[in-house]
Amino acid sequence: MEEFLQNYGFLVVTLLQQSLLALSLYFPLMTGQLSLASPGFYALGGYIAAIMLTVDGCAGVRDYLGWAIFPLGWVAAGIVSAVLALLVGIPALRLRGIYLALGTIAFVEIMRVLFLNMEITGGAIGIFDIPQLFEERWSYILVFGPLLIATLLFIYRLERSRIGRAYKAIREDELAAGAMGINATRYKVQAFVIGAILAGIVGAMSAPFLNTWNARQGTFDASVSYLAYVLIGGSRSLFGPLLGATLLVALPELLRPLKDARLIINGVVLVLASIYLPQGIVGAMSRLKRSLFKIYAARGDDK
Amino acid sequence: MDAVQFLQNFINGISIGSVYAIFALGYTLVFSILGIINFAHGAVFTLGAYLTYSLAVGRFGIGGLLADLQIPFQFSFSVSLLIGSILSGLAGVLVERCAFRPLRSRGADPLLALVSSLGVALVAVNVIQYLVGSEIYSFPSDVYGDIRPAFVIHFGEKLVVVRTVQMVIFAVSLLVLALLGYMIGYTRIGKALRAVAENASTASLLGINVDRFILYTFFLSGFLGGMAGSLVGTSFGIAGPYFGVSYGLKGLAVIVMGGLGSIPGAVLGGLIIGLAEAFVPSEYSAYKEAIAFAFLFAVLMIRPQGFLGRSQMQKV
Amino acid sequence: MSIILHAERLCRNFGGLQAVDAVSFSVEEGEIFGLIGPNGAGKTTLFNLLTGLTPVSSGTFNYKGKFLTGLPPHRIAGLGIGRTFQNIRLFKGLSALENVKISRHTRTGSGLVSGIFGFPASCREERLVEEKAREVLKLIGLSERAEELAGNFSYGDQRRLEIGRALALDPKVLLLDEPAAGMNTAEKQNLTAFIRGVRKQFSLTVLLIEHHVPLVMGLCDRVAVLDFGKLIAVGEPADVQRDPAVIEAYLGAE
Repeated sequence: MEEFLQNYGFLVVTLLQQSLLALSLYFPLMTGQLSLASPGFYALGGYIAAIMLTVDGCAGVRDYLGWAIFPLGWVAAGIVSAVLALLVGIPALRLRGIYLALGTIAFVEIMRVLFLNMEITGGAIGIFDIPQLFEERWSYILVFGPLLIATLLFIYRLERSRIGRAYKAIREDELAAGAMGINATRYKVQAFVIGAILAGIVGAMSAPFLNTWNARQGTFDASVSYLAYVLIGGSRSLFGPLLGATLLVALPELLRPLKDARLIINGVVLVLASIYLPQGIVGAMSRLKRSLFKIYAARGDDK
Repeated sequence: MDAVQFLQNFINGISIGSVYAIFALGYTLVFSILGIINFAHGAVFTLGAYLTYSLAVGRFGIGGLLADLQIPFQFSFSVSLLIGSILSGLAGVLVERCAFRPLRSRGADPLLALVSSLGVALVAVNVIQYLVGSEIYSFPSDVYGDIRPAFVIHFGEKLVVVRTVQMVIFAVSLLVLALLGYMIGYTRIGKALRAVAENASTASLLGINVDRFILYTFFLSGFLGGMAGSLVGTSFGIAGPYFGVSYGLKGLAVIVMGGLGSIPGAVLGGLIIGLAEAFVPSEYSAYKEAIAFAFLFAVLMIRPQGFLGRSQMQKV
Repeated sequence: MSIILHAERLCRNFGGLQAVDAVSFSVEEGEIFGLIGPNGAGKTTLFNLLTGLTPVSSGTFNYKGKFLTGLPPHRIAGLGIGRTFQNIRLFKGLSALENVKISRHTRTGSGLVSGIFGFPASCREERLVEEKAREVLKLIGLSERAEELAGNFSYGDQRRLEIGRALALDPKVLLLDEPAAGMNTAEKQNLTAFIRGVRKQFSLTVLLIEHHVPLVMGLCDRVAVLDFGKLIAVGEPADVQRDPAVIEAYLGAE
């Protein structure tokens, strides 16, 4: 076990982390919104944690709190992300489809340029030598793991609740949902904010894990990766993003020669998945299940 | 800022703005025909730059698989630009085949086309990186042959520098826009394109081969994208295979400002953003990159259909 | 009889086109009020104005005395105006039961936290929603197919389901946009009886867009006729049918 963790610990943590980021995309998708904003909040969360952990001004607080500064960073990241997401989301989510996607792209780029140029974020160099929560890299499983489980539970309960039903209606037909009494904008913003909070918290957790943090953590390319995870895994089931992230992160690692071609693989996956598997693997599996079921049921009738 | 500096900024702004305009037109053409954004446009931009470079300089680049591979021929700049753009047009057609046609035949959601084109872009850019490495490529300063690289105009003690490449860009842009405007407004092909853009099913009922015109559109779009990339490449150098990404994204800001699907809007949007960037005071030059996106966001908030676009009406 | 819905010089223009042109009328509580007119006369647009889906260019309308002009659709639905759509806008990927449950949204209030953590109030509410939804499905005769995806239903059944979904809103006013489209004679008769039935059972007021003139004449208490966005006649079916302006607009019945 020890050896496995030593060799593959980093990979497992990365898997958990990327799954969480894919899930941050899942929330807006539940309301039918394609948001590419997660990297902006991820970077923001990371910077907040990094600043709290390295800046001299916070040294007093750090000494007082000890290791508790880390969870405090997560909470701070979540709160700031929520506020920013509200400010950005309320106007942005009145937009539909492609306009929203473009708006979130703009948001990420603006954040990136800001981070690249502000003093407090360390400019182009970023922040480095971020204190570690654990000695071993693989110990971060203890941080990302519970968050992933909690998120999955949250989504599971959400999908079966009144609010989740509203989300589904909005995704199916926003106009009709409105005519049936659902305030679509309110729920779209809510889903967007939840996704942003998740991305922010993951960022705050990732900063110590990765030891350095700079503006390259929050780029358009990252959104493309998360999109690939959700698309290949399936955007309609909570296991979809998980499956997609696992496949697209683990496979290149385990097949050495593929590792360098990781981005090309992501690209090819995006193309093939959008053409042949628009419902992702999970969706295709459930379609397969349903058609198999129909075949069995039909055969039963023949008897 | 005094008059001389204003003039300098203005010239710089118009120059880069016209490149933005040409590039944005590639997006606009595809959007007006298919109603979707071709996210592979930035990759074609990149491809065009590298192609023109190789043709003009006579060899593939410094790094990557094809490092130092000599090409048996070498062309003057204008010919390289033309060939590079034509090849980019063909690349555009290839993109249509791979990313868009299969989705069209399945009647898929337009957002999937966006995703698919993103995939193609990712593959293309990384293949380029694999083939020619990620170092910076600069066009040699004698690429224009005998013409001087820059002209200096004196206003008393101050001076305004007009780089030859800026004049080339402006001249080429004007030419391309004029030709495009003529083609779309006055030729049969142009009329057919407009018909398909207006209503594809009616157009096909009228005997127009919609698929073929979609191909023409993508060729044209790729041509414009490759040309824009080549012009930027000669102007600022090629900073690596990813240099098209920020232009690709900025192009989106241009078309949203101008109005999705509006050709004059793309030109207007390009010039506005170009000028806005040029007039950013030097203390804030680091934030120049964010201007286009700030504009984009602002436009989306205030008037999503842009300056010259039509309001999106939803049919209930 | 009191007036439950009143429109005052409602206008809607798109660019140069006057889709609805200064339309004024009143609907009495408990009426079945028909809305007829040639294609493109503006009937569906009028419905869209009354339900807030399309913003009003000018004019007002009120419901039970309360001005609804400018309110968003979800507020209008919450106040008790339900509708169906000309082109059927069911939530095709959701089951019939879920489609109907959606309409209970404005009659319930459990939020994100209580839904996630399963507070007792929320669970109770969900049970009530389920009960009410199943009642509605029984009313429209689709109980056995509650779990089936709405997209798999036949055209006629989809229309029934859409009416059921609107009824689940507990509306006081029901707007039906061509509910009989694509139905044969028997189905039309069933629909007529059904509308009369629910009107009585739930004390509804019904506004009905319909092309099939005999159905309208047989079912409606009063009829309004639109042509090119203008209201050209309002009154009892027999009177309207004889009105020369109406005859001219239609050039005879269907």
